[in-house]
Amino acid sequence: MTPDSPIKLVSELLDLPLYDSEQKYCGVVDDVELKGGPGKDLELVALLAGPGAYKTRLPGWAMWLVGKIAGDRVTRIPMEKVRSIDTVVNLECPGRDLGLHRTEIAAGNWIPRWGAL
Amino acid sequence: MNPLELTLGIMTAVGGFVDISELVFAAKAGSTFGYALIWAFALATIGIIVFSEMSGRVAAVAHQPVFSLMRHRLGLKLGLVTLAASMIANLITCAAELGGVALILNYMTGAPYLLMAVLMALVMVVSIWILPFEWIERIYGLLGLFMLVFAAALIAIHPPWHQIAAGFVPHIPAGLSTKEMLKFGYFVVAITSAVMFPYEVYFYSSGGIEEGWGIKDILTNRVTAILGMGLGSTLAIAILASSAQLFGAANVDPVIPGSAALEAAIPFGKWGLVVALLGMLFAVAGAAVETCLANAYSIAQFFGWIWGRHKKPWEAPRFTLTWITLFALALAIVVTGVDVMTLVEFAILFSILVLPLTYLPLLLLAGDKKYMGKHVNGPLAKILGWLYFAIITAAALAAIPLYILTSGGNS
Repeated sequence: MTPDSPIKLVSELLDLPLYDSEQKYCGVVDDVELKGGPGKDLELVALLAGPGAYKTRLPGWAMWLVGKIAGDRVTRIPMEKVRSIDTVVNLECPGRDLGLHRTEIAAGNWIPRWGAL
Repeated sequence: MNPLELTLGIMTAVGGFVDISELVFAAKAGSTFGYALIWAFALATIGIIVFSEMSGRVAAVAHQPVFSLMRHRLGLKLGLVTLAASMIANLITCAAELGGVALILNYMTGAPYLLMAVLMALVMVVSIWILPFEWIERIYGLLGLFMLVFAAALIAIHPPWHQIAAGFVPHIPAGLSTKEMLKFGYFVVAITSAVMFPYEVYFYSSGGIEEGWGIKDILTNRVTAILGMGLGSTLAIAILASSAQLFGAANVDPVIPGSAALEAAIPFGKWGLVVALLGMLFAVAGAAVETCLANAYSIAQFFGWIWGRHKKPWEAPRFTLTWITLFALALAIVVTGVDVMTLVEFAILFSILVLPLTYLPLLLLAGDKKYMGKHVNGPLAKILGWLYFAIITAAALAAIPLYILTSGGNS
């Protein structure tokens, strides 16, 4: 692996869609968690999803706005739960096991369950 | 390729092609410059065909909608700028369409405009709630086929076909003053914007995913984009040509959106008028639904929410709350009493500014072998794609100066 490979990996991984083992859409890779430091190997240990993960990548005003509207929830997806990375990220397990559908489930409580064909 | 599905798809695209901005600018272009702006409609139609085909192909091959891929490709910050700009453009467009529907109902029934706006917003929200995606697309699109009366009306008034044919050749009419030249330029920009509205591509690409397109649908996508949008555009050109012959010669300026309906009333009488108004009503209502859904698609796809109307509203709750909120915001804009023509002008202006930002990531993605494999842009798609990107960038740069210098084409 060349010195620039990890950086390229991260830049190509960020903002990719996430699909779970049931092929359900679970969100987007909003940030990554790296382990290591100067003089040590840098290791990708987890993918992060949720407004708390991407708001730090936004300009200051947008960070404040996102925090107010969406909160700062972060869901951590350990790399051992990732099956493959290509044009999307495929996970080894259902998204609910990782807590990826929490906000959708909470929002679903606001929606009446009738009338739709 | 299922012939019935394909025919329905094409008919839906034809019926859903014309919206309030095209109605307004086709009629005004014809009355002001005769047949001289037909080429602008034809040129922009090739552009929307190129980008729609591309977005449909990306949806079929990568199974990813435009905004998901846009964020990955442009990065979060530039992606957010694109999202914010397109949200504003789509919201104003949605308000213009909703105002247009209310106005048409006001012509037809005499009921108060604002009451009709509230009622139609409710009807549209209920229709999206109840109907699955395919039904929403088909019902509004197929009822929009009443618009075919404009093609029949043009034939019935025996227009000078040779002048119409000459209008397809790009040219600037001789003898225009500087002021008229600027106005002509503004109309070219406005027509390009109206035909290539960004919401159309967001809706088309997301619609492909809603319908579960795959590699097998690439040919269907191509034929639907070319024939559906090509034939749809002939309706807009028919409105322009009838306006040139009927309004232009009589020195009538079709300043209100409903003026175009008179083009069918002249050859066919009362029933021509009724059919034309019905066609306009369904076509513009369809566009209101599409702009609202396109906006909700963009937001949900950008932030990684579950989306789509192939799911029940409670299965994609944040997406559902988004489109309901967007309809409420569009209605709030209409209820302020702002003139529909003003909304149309702002929709045109904002949309053309957003167009390069919308189409650049699409061009990059459709040309990326990693996503597209062997279905990557071929030489023709590449040349046309970049050519149209240059055209819309030039139009975006010229839009604000031309808008100011011509007072929105009104001076």
